[in-house]
Amino acid sequence: MAETKDKIDPPVTLVEPIDMSRLDSSFRKEIQSMPDGNELNACFACSTCTAACPIANQWTYKPHQLIRMILLGMREEVLSSKEIWECLTCFQCQERCPQNVRVTDILFDCKNLAAEEGKVPDSIKGLAKELIEKGQLYVITADWEREDLDLEPEVPGMSTDEFREILKATRTGKIVGGE
Amino acid sequence: MVTHPVLVIGAGVAGLTAAVELADSGVQTVLIERNSTVGGNALDLYKAFPTDDCFYCFEGNRWRPGIRKCFYRSALLDQPNLTLKINTTLKEVTGEPGKFKVVLSIGPRYVDPVKCIMCGICMEHSKAFSLISPQCQPQAVVYNPDKADEGVARAVEECPTKAIDIEAQPSEETINVSDIIVATGYHEMQPVNVDEYGYGRIPNVITQLELARMLDPNGITGGVLTRPSDGERVKSVLMIQCVGSRDEKYYPYCSKICCIFALKHANIIALERENVSVNIVYMDIRTYDRYERYYREAREAGVNFIRGRVQRVKPSENGGIEAIVYDSLLNRYLKFDTDLFVLSSALEAPKGSEEIIKALGLRESNGFVAPADLETEENVVVGDHVYACGTALGPAEVPESVTQARAVVSKILQSRM
Ligand SMILES: Cc1cc2nc3c(=O)[nH]c(=O)nc-3n(C[C@H](O)[C@H](O)[C@H](O)COP(=O)(O)OP(=O)(O)OC[C@H]3O[C@@H](n4cnc5c(N)ncnc54)[C@H](O)[C@@H]3O)c2cc1C
Ligand code: SF4
Ligand code: SF4
Ligand code: SF4
Ligand code: SF4
Repeated sequence: MAETKDKIDPPVTLVEPIDMSRLDSSFRKEIQSMPDGNELNACFACSTCTAACPIANQWTYKPHQLIRMILLGMREEVLSSKEIWECLTCFQCQERCPQNVRVTDILFDCKNLAAEEGKVPDSIKGLAKELIEKGQLYVITADWEREDLDLEPEVPGMSTDEFREILKATRTGKIVGGE
Repeated sequence: MVTHPVLVIGAGVAGLTAAVELADSGVQTVLIERNSTVGGNALDLYKAFPTDDCFYCFEGNRWRPGIRKCFYRSALLDQPNLTLKINTTLKEVTGEPGKFKVVLSIGPRYVDPVKCIMCGICMEHSKAFSLISPQCQPQAVVYNPDKADEGVARAVEECPTKAIDIEAQPSEETINVSDIIVATGYHEMQPVNVDEYGYGRIPNVITQLELARMLDPNGITGGVLTRPSDGERVKSVLMIQCVGSRDEKYYPYCSKICCIFALKHANIIALERENVSVNIVYMDIRTYDRYERYYREAREAGVNFIRGRVQRVKPSENGGIEAIVYDSLLNRYLKFDTDLFVLSSALEAPKGSEEIIKALGLRESNGFVAPADLETEENVVVGDHVYACGTALGPAEVPESVTQARAVVSKILQSRM
């Protein structure tokens, strides 16, 4: 007869759980030490931020989840997420958070940290390149409003050369590969 | 004019308050307690919310007579209107409201508390003698006949005050009382049947009350958190809320204060013990009234809150516990390696409540005493000339228990005017 064990072990999960000991528990402190992060710990996961967000329904990680991930130390996932870059910076989450967590500002902090580590999506790099090359994102060409007003198509005296130089020396320059 | 005394059953915070305040108001009061010391569950709690004072009210404040917390001590010794009977339970109630005739069964009085000077000589000779707590009241050692050994005779002989009588027999006493106050308190559910948490089966799975004893600087570990299995220093604690509460398989009600004492313990650990991380797995955090600040403080102290439930628990290779928790807010599973797995277990009615409820013909709710008339909102009135206060009515904190006790006192005094 087959032996039966006294107590069978509980079932194993088919999905590997997140091993807490492998997460970066200092990530919370890192964000908290940034100028807008001091209220981070106060988050009680009410998800008001997500309810307020006009774009979160498109996201895998909702704003409240991003905050949770920061608290748990999921540094890698947060800094390489697309969501931090897709944030519209409308500040609705931050306005409505009942615990004064500066959600939008924290997402800015995350973007800065990601950029430091070179984790910038190509679309953002494209914008940076545009800025470095043209000194502006929206170039005025064949503007009908100007035409209606009888103005010449080019803005007289408009020069973006200086901007280009300045931007090159900032982190925007860094994003496109400069020093 | 009614002159019969009032009977108070149970000498926890609620019963003590009712008895002492009645006695102070000139009412003869008999306080019975089935254990060998008064104080009830509060004896083991270390720091108390909402004031964060230490629960060592009797011992610690001995040199400050008159302050709120030690008034029980002096009253128990000096208040002539108050008669305390330890190791005593209610056997039978007859008569009618206002003129009850009650039979008390009184356990054998092996050690005369008036004579015992707590010199400790008996404890040196035999394991049958012990001191329950430094703040035990009455201040005396207790004798456990089940642990009797050959040293007992010597203890009896050498006791300097001749306080010990191992031949003592149980007795009965019949008294007439006008009113009865039920203050029998609560019991922390032993979650042995909640199989998924392995309490009683997996080492280092404990309850909050057990954790409270460990945090107590006067406890066995001197306030140091160590793993019960091997004495290793604890580096991480995982708490589980709503164990046996809000669960139709056990108790349908919310035990009301387990969130708060979990937060209290989490804050003590996070702020007063070095390098111990605390994680709390919860369904809701319920911090009513003034207690929200404990929740905020815990978050600020870096305590991790995981909304979700435990998938499984097993002993880990390093002697701790491996727990997989489902985080419903992230929709992910988290794996923890932790040293202590602490269950916030339900507060249930203590053993013997059923008998008392039956003997007094009271209403019952989930094992606790229920108000006689729900319409009146007079929660403490549970029968004709029968009152209840404190956790005998269901889970409550000390302030609420005390407030109810005072409401009872006020009711009785009014009825005698
Ligand atoms: C882990 C934990 C931490 C807590 N921390 C806090 C805190 O910080 N602050 C706070 O305000 N509250 C706290 N509480 C709640 C607190 O313990 C209770 O509010 C308080 O102890 C209730 O007092 P009581 O007199 O109603 O009941 P109990 O303390 O239970 O006293 C009842 C007494 O009646 C006796 N008795 C029972 N049945 C009989 C019988 N049939 N015959 C004779 N005697 C009987 C018992 O032996 C006991 O002495 C905590 C509870 C727990 C579990
Ligand atoms: S609204 Fe604020 S408290 Fe609520 S989940 Fe978002 S960050 Fe946290
Ligand atoms: S600031 Fe960003 S995250 Fe916040 S509501 Fe607006 S889009 Fe959403
Ligand atoms: S020897 Fe006597 S007086 Fe001393 S502790 Fe024991 S019982 Fe009390
Ligand atoms: S007080 Fe908290 S832990 Fe206790 S039963 Fe209620 S919700 Fe659950």
